Amino acid sequence: MTITEASAPEGLVIVGASALGLPLPSTGYARQAYGNVSVDFGPATWLTVGGDGAVTVFAGKVEYGQGIRWGLAIAAAEELGLEPSVISVVLGDTERTPWDIGTFGSQSTRHTGVQVRKAAATARQALIELAAGRLDLPPDQLICRDGRMASMADPGRSVSLGELVAGQSVVREIPEEAPVHAPAEFTVMGGYVRRTDGLQRVTGRAVYAQDVVRPGMLFARVLRPPAYGAHLERLDDGVATRMPGVASVVRDGDLVAVLAESDQQADAAHDLLIADWSERAGQISQWDLPAALAADPHDPVVTQELGDVEAALAKAAHRLEESYYIPYIPAAPMEPRAAVAEWADDRLTVWAGTQRPFGIRGELAQFFGIDEDHVHVIAPEIGGGFGSKSIYRPALEAAQLAKLAGRPVRVAYSRIEEMTWATFRPAALITIRSGFDADGRITAWDSHAIHTTVDRPMIGQRGSESPYAADAIRSIVSAGPAPLRPGSYRSLGCAVNHFARESHIDEIATAIGMDPVEFRLRNLPEPRYRRVLEAAANEFGWKTVSTPSGGGAGVAVGLDVGSYAAECVAIGIEGREIRVERVSASIDCGLVFNPEGVRSQMEGAIMMGLGGALFEAAEFEDGHLLNGSFARYRVPRITQMPEVSVTICGGEENPPTGAGEPGIVPIAPAIANAVFDLQSKRIRELPLQRQLS
Amino acid sequence: MANAAMARSRYLRFDLGLTGTKYGCGEGLCGACTVLVDGQPLRACLATVASVGGGQVTTIEGLADGDVLHPVQQAFLEESAMQCGYCIPGFIMSAVGLLERTPNPSTGQIRDALAENMCRCGTYPRIERAVLRAAGGRE
Ligand code: FES
Ligand code: FES
Repeated sequence: MTITEASAPEGLVIVGASALGLPLPSTGYARQAYGNVSVDFGPATWLTVGGDGAVTVFAGKVEYGQGIRWGLAIAAAEELGLEPSVISVVLGDTERTPWDIGTFGSQSTRHTGVQVRKAAATARQALIELAAGRLDLPPDQLICRDGRMASMADPGRSVSLGELVAGQSVVREIPEEAPVHAPAEFTVMGGYVRRTDGLQRVTGRAVYAQDVVRPGMLFARVLRPPAYGAHLERLDDGVATRMPGVASVVRDGDLVAVLAESDQQADAAHDLLIADWSERAGQISQWDLPAALAADPHDPVVTQELGDVEAALAKAAHRLEESYYIPYIPAAPMEPRAAVAEWADDRLTVWAGTQRPFGIRGELAQFFGIDEDHVHVIAPEIGGGFGSKSIYRPALEAAQLAKLAGRPVRVAYSRIEEMTWATFRPAALITIRSGFDADGRITAWDSHAIHTTVDRPMIGQRGSESPYAADAIRSIVSAGPAPLRPGSYRSLGCAVNHFARESHIDEIATAIGMDPVEFRLRNLPEPRYRRVLEAAANEFGWKTVSTPSGGGAGVAVGLDVGSYAAECVAIGIEGREIRVERVSASIDCGLVFNPEGVRSQMEGAIMMGLGGALFEAAEFEDGHLLNGSFARYRVPRITQMPEVSVTICGGEENPPTGAGEPGIVPIAPAIANAVFDLQSKRIRELPLQRQLS
Repeated sequence: MANAAMARSRYLRFDLGLTGTKYGCGEGLCGACTVLVDGQPLRACLATVASVGGGQVTTIEGLADGDVLHPVQQAFLEESAMQCGYCIPGFIMSAVGLLERTPNPSTGQIRDALAENMCRCGTYPRIERAVLRAAGGRE
């Protein structure tokens, strides 16, 4: 949407650039995700103040659990002196919100949050000017508070925001340097604010993609292959077609689906399709993958290089070489993906719970050979995604089927479809060779990570650089054979790379008999790293000791999306189960808009990471996923919840960075290190529980 | 129209338009579809329309009294006990069922009662606090 289309509504309209965070990286996931986008990044409406005083914020991000609506309401409320809950936030709609690259990489606060603050500060400035005229006061005598502009000296002399703009149309552009509040002036930001969009959620009124229903809509059930790479040889739909409620059985290239008047009828008829498939033999099974990765790394990229690592290793007083294996895991969001598509002539509207409404718009326009202006994508509430809903197949499936059927069509994945046909966090085999001296100084660090990333090398590269000082360092990231489809996941490969590195660091500390916290502090030059580590260790009550001590304590640190994190964990064993009892976490994500939001994200990331650490892994054999239902795929439950504390370090001296992902980065190695401390057993393969039982 | 063998959750979601009862697995394993039947939590995806018979069904939409939220809903709101929120109706219904039976549950009882509800966003610490708050408010 551009400003010329704003049709000059009554009130104040704040416009500004939509291409935030650009230029795009020239390589990597974001580049690949946006390769097909061709929109003009013209100015768009970011904020409006209506004649009734209603403040609305517009942003192309989506809400999928990270609390962006909450965070943006806080940002705007800060600048306008409002209660955050009175601000409406419109998200992820290609016809109503500014263009956006997609909700990933923890960019929401970094770019969008900053832009919304600027928009709101611009609005405040405009409102002050209007009020100065109306109240006949100098602008610096005015204060914007609780929906009114008032005289500082005489609060009775005031005018409401609505009255200031009623009956006129004022458009302002966000300047380069908008007058945002300095941290010392904050009245809303940084304090406790309750979730602003909670009411819809606790009353069941929040509408997710799975809940969207359109008049005349058909329910589709898509025929999925029994295995990856299977090919449909023959289809007999004779019985299915005659089932009650079935409108048709549609076949469009590889896409086969039953369309029916109800969800249940579509399912019942789908089960009566008789399909013959030819399967692709010789696919890599889970137990063969580590060896397959070791045998066939390709496309190596050096992500870090300092000095001559081979020479440093040769000279080292002590050396250690170990390999670590991290299996594939699915994101398994609670809401399986779903989309509803509706055509009106050659215009297409799609409701899709995707992290990339604008990207999906481009893909749809390209597929159907129509103009992007003729495609409208709306992202409703999203029931979790953790990165995996960037790639969103049902949007296209629904649009294809709706076009053929001439009626709106809903494609909603079942749990098994979500687990099987979404993407997986790539598996990796990581080998680290290190050299060190007896005083606890690392002299050489050589890491080779092979991730099953296929065409998305960025996933494996993220977080591959070592933050530890050494005379010589080399980090190489390669791609390896990929039996499952790789995709995004909370922190991408960053948590994967950290599992290997932070386990290995502990192994060195053990080798020289040094406390693992102390060893890290000695070798981490970055003060922000040391500060989060000290904070977590203090909160935990870390006792200096060399491992294994039998106590069951573990530590790890991490850096992701510009934010530093550290976690100390205490574990016990209950029967044969590892039980994580306590986690003391700390994060430095720069300037914090919403501390409650940061804590909530850290807690969530820790819980999610605990699953990957202890028991989550995709199991597959010869192209068949073996654990695609919750009966066989275990995720953490409330009964596994440790006591979690989150310390927020640092603050205003650094710009805001992400808080949704860093929490997952240290948790798996911290638990593995704690298992070693407790049981003297070093586990170098996830999930840990499988190696114990 | 619903037939007797139809899953209760489908009937609620698509015949009655009560989409606050969620679909998460369809197999009774995640709790997203939890409703109350005569005050007891039930996985609506497993029960058929017929099996519920003439029982009194309460969904998340029917919990509040007009604009006044049920104390459990209010507590979830006050604790910001939600991230994506998809699991939250199911948790609230399970918690309401628990507090009907056990007005002052221990944290162990809360965890046991909610063990069959899944929250992939990991909102568990806040959910537990919300249930404790709701229980406290009833004393
Ligand atoms: S949808 Fe009923 S338990 Fe998962
Ligand atoms: S809040 Fe997202 S699944 Fe619970």
